[in-house]
Amino acid sequence: MKKRLFVFVAVVALFALVAAPVFAQGGSEASSPKIGFMGPMTGDYANYGVLSNNSAMLAVEHFNAKGGFNGKLPVVLVTEDTEGSVEKGLSAIEKLSSSDKIAGLIGPVFTGVSFAVGERVQNEGLIMISPSATHADITSIGDFVFRTVVSDGLQGEVAGRYFAEQLGYKTMAVLYAKNDYSQGLFEGMTASFEAAGGKVITSESFQVGDKDFKTQLTKIRSANPDAIYIPNYTAEMAQILEQATQLGIKIPFTSCDGFSNPEIYNLAGDFTDGVVYVGPAKVKESEDYSNFVAEYTAKYGVGPDSFASNAFDGTNILLSAMETVYKKTGKFDRKDIRDAVAATKNYQGVTGTINFAENGDLVAYQGLYKVNKTTPEYIGTFTVVDGKLVQID
Amino acid sequence: MGISEFFQHLMNGLTLGGIYALIALGYTMVYGILKFINFAHGDILMVGAYIGLFVFDGLRGDAPLGTWTFVSFFIAMLVSMVSCGLLGMAIERIAYKPLRKATRLAPLLSAIGVSFILSNSAAWVFGTQSRKLNYPFDNTPISFGGVVITPHQILILVVSVIMMVTLKLFVDRTRMGKAMRATSLDQDTAMLMGINVNKVISMTFAIGSALAAVGGILIALDYKVYPTMGTMTGLKAFVAAVVGGIGNISGAMFGGILLGLLETFGVAVFGIPTGLKDTIAFGVLILILLIKPEGLFGKVEKEKV
Repeated sequence: MKKRLFVFVAVVALFALVAAPVFAQGGSEASSPKIGFMGPMTGDYANYGVLSNNSAMLAVEHFNAKGGFNGKLPVVLVTEDTEGSVEKGLSAIEKLSSSDKIAGLIGPVFTGVSFAVGERVQNEGLIMISPSATHADITSIGDFVFRTVVSDGLQGEVAGRYFAEQLGYKTMAVLYAKNDYSQGLFEGMTASFEAAGGKVITSESFQVGDKDFKTQLTKIRSANPDAIYIPNYTAEMAQILEQATQLGIKIPFTSCDGFSNPEIYNLAGDFTDGVVYVGPAKVKESEDYSNFVAEYTAKYGVGPDSFASNAFDGTNILLSAMETVYKKTGKFDRKDIRDAVAATKNYQGVTGTINFAENGDLVAYQGLYKVNKTTPEYIGTFTVVDGKLVQID
Repeated sequence: MGISEFFQHLMNGLTLGGIYALIALGYTMVYGILKFINFAHGDILMVGAYIGLFVFDGLRGDAPLGTWTFVSFFIAMLVSMVSCGLLGMAIERIAYKPLRKATRLAPLLSAIGVSFILSNSAAWVFGTQSRKLNYPFDNTPISFGGVVITPHQILILVVSVIMMVTLKLFVDRTRMGKAMRATSLDQDTAMLMGINVNKVISMTFAIGSALAAVGGILIALDYKVYPTMGTMTGLKAFVAAVVGGIGNISGAMFGGILLGLLETFGVAVFGIPTGLKDTIAFGVLILILLIKPEGLFGKVEKEKV
């Protein structure tokens, strides 16, 4: 009799042991909502990931300082390192979605990774807001993919139009990397530059990670274009600018939003003078922006790059969508959160007024910059309407 | 293609080849004596570049270009050579010596392991972003009728030639060199003849690693310093050493230059897409292994009976 009782108690105890975490997990969905961030935190591209992750941390900190959801539920940020590689990105989304059970994702930072991760979040019905995946086709993956960065479609269009119409270039050369980001910008700029009457007379490519560009630059030097467009990341652009000087190339350089990362001035500060690049549109007289930059800089010791500002807005939009959903339903349903983000109307972020187009793209403008020694100077805000370049201010 | 473009490509190819040659010399020297490919060579080069970077920046401070920058660069290079020499000896002692009597594959695998340990440790300690090593001299390019070369590129070529000649003289003419050649022929007999084989092998690694340090610092001026800087360049230098006939000192120099020219002209003249530049080196490796495995300058070794 005693023995039977012992067995019974043992079985109950065992069941409790096994089941307890399961119940606890089921209950914890409402008690500690998580959001994810994904980007290169180590590696040659860590400068991009770290700056954007800082923004996500800052946004979360602000949110929790105000008490979190309903004034009592703080949100938790889980950061995963992709090193900028697709493989790492896929295992990161696996972990974030199934193990951390995040309610939404900020990132990935890179276009190539975003294509792969975008497919996954779409299948799982999880919202993703990338601060920096600029390829024109990213948002056509599906309705769960958003971004707070301007599509290359617009960046390339403004670039090509501006180079042809305002700078008066007739011929250009392009030196781009064999990756989605760089190639997307190359194609977009070429299409609009040629539509505006210019001609891309030579385009040379390289593999990401290459350090020697002298062969390509020598060919470009012989073609003698009016300007050279280098839509790449800082590690490569630094090498290109330095080696162009070594080859005695005096042709002006133009670039893309990748140039807005200050790391370029550490690596190639002697060679950046005169570079014109298309970057984020500046929001003038925005107190929010200067407050954000001041707080960010005080906290992390460096200023935010354009991707980081986008990440800050993206995180805030996600959090306020989650709050709306939580107030209404008391839960964090992924589909509801997605709908709430899509319904965002005239959100006043640090990068300006944010609206999403039907496909999840940001409705936006582009800024143009010219570097004076190592200081970028703002030229103006532009957009393209019906194939025409329009200056906003 | 215009005449000045042709000569510019030639110059680019020569200087790129100079970089490969510089590293290939270290590979080939260790192989020539020990019949062992030190795959960690490229990573020792990376360590050398970091040491050089820290010592140079520390000594230089904010000093403008001048004699002092030159002197501190020279000191940085010496410190880096000595440290890498010691590192090379330590690696040999820990990772290769216990395997000396094992199958030929064992030390090779151990070397690949060392290579990963070094580059991952560097990533962990120093972080993975590229760091800039400033030129200690004025690197304004010099132009000859449209053909441009930088002082740095000239330096690389000159140092490669000096290193090649010194190495050759050292191996051919000195007592230590003689002991090295004896060890290379037959370790057991050399030992019976009273040669301290352990010391000879240690010395070989010390010199090879010091050469790697020189290469690392000179390359870093152009390519920056980062944990995987030795990987691709190291592999290409290895190809260069094989092309020239591995173990052959002047062959390594020639193989390096040839590889640099092939990569440049393959893209510029033969229209190989620039994205496929890296495949040229490895295509050449396969061809050489198929057609002339002993390399262009290698001796055919007869199997001893």
